[in-house]
Amino acid sequence: MESPDQLDLDYSGQSGMVQELNKKNQGPSRRAFLRGLAAILTLGAAAKEFLFGSEALGQAVPSGFPLPDETVEATLKRLFGNRPLNQGEGKVKLDLPLIAEDGANVAVTVEANLPMTPATYVSNIYIISDKNRRPMIAKFSFTPEAGKAYIATSIRLAATTDVRAVVEMNDEMLYAVSRHVRVTVSGCGDVPQN
Amino acid sequence: MADTGRVRIRLPSMIRPGEVIRVRTLIIHPMETVQRDKQGNIIRRSYEFIHAVMVTYNGKEVMRGETTQAVSQNPIFTFPLKVDRPGKLTVTFLDTTGKSYKETAEIKF
Repeated sequence: MESPDQLDLDYSGQSGMVQELNKKNQGPSRRAFLRGLAAILTLGAAAKEFLFGSEALGQAVPSGFPLPDETVEATLKRLFGNRPLNQGEGKVKLDLPLIAEDGANVAVTVEANLPMTPATYVSNIYIISDKNRRPMIAKFSFTPEAGKAYIATSIRLAATTDVRAVVEMNDEMLYAVSRHVRVTVSGCGDVPQN
Repeated sequence: MADTGRVRIRLPSMIRPGEVIRVRTLIIHPMETVQRDKQGNIIRRSYEFIHAVMVTYNGKEVMRGETTQAVSQNPIFTFPLKVDRPGKLTVTFLDTTGKSYKETAEIKF
């Protein structure tokens, strides 16, 4: 990881500044030292929040290193906290094959029959598979410019599973639907043990 | 793959002003999955997969996608687009090796 090195550099830069201040005052200036110390501490806290906060929010991981396995409950908790998942039948349409012969390439379509105006619109569509090691498959964010909330893509499923689509409105209202898919051949090379 | 990063955009043959059209995009990309050794332990290295999809129309953002390794190889994305005036559609894909793949299409009536 690159970030910790950069942090170290930042630390040394700060303490260097403090030393210089001290030299200028001909002797240790308590005020400058304390100011420097405070700066280092806040910088460290901010960096920590940045590093761990971003992971907790489940943002994209540009490094490409594998993330730890997760249960679907943990994923839902991480993404939506304690917000209730409303029944989305009739409002959200999730299209998947009943039987997916190849788990490596399963076509999925999510269509929300919900308004797309600047005041009320679908902000996010999440696709979540219960049995994948990392259940969160993809997240699509829309703006009212899209005119309609719709996404079709192809996903990998590890095993016979329920697939959920969660639609999030701009006022944080959630609608969820799920479908059961039988997977003949795993799409992830191996089958999770559960 | 030699073709990695080739992006194709497919538009409907007839577009009327004010319509919400469906745009199909395809990218040739391996979308590597996590590999494991014989004991089932994860081989820790950086895997190459697309982690972001961005769609803009005349410079305005329409859609943004966060994708993971659970998206298929050579993925297809179909998304809606409201066309009320002619313009330029841009689709950008970012992958974990730091590369970005971009394709544009002109929309006219």
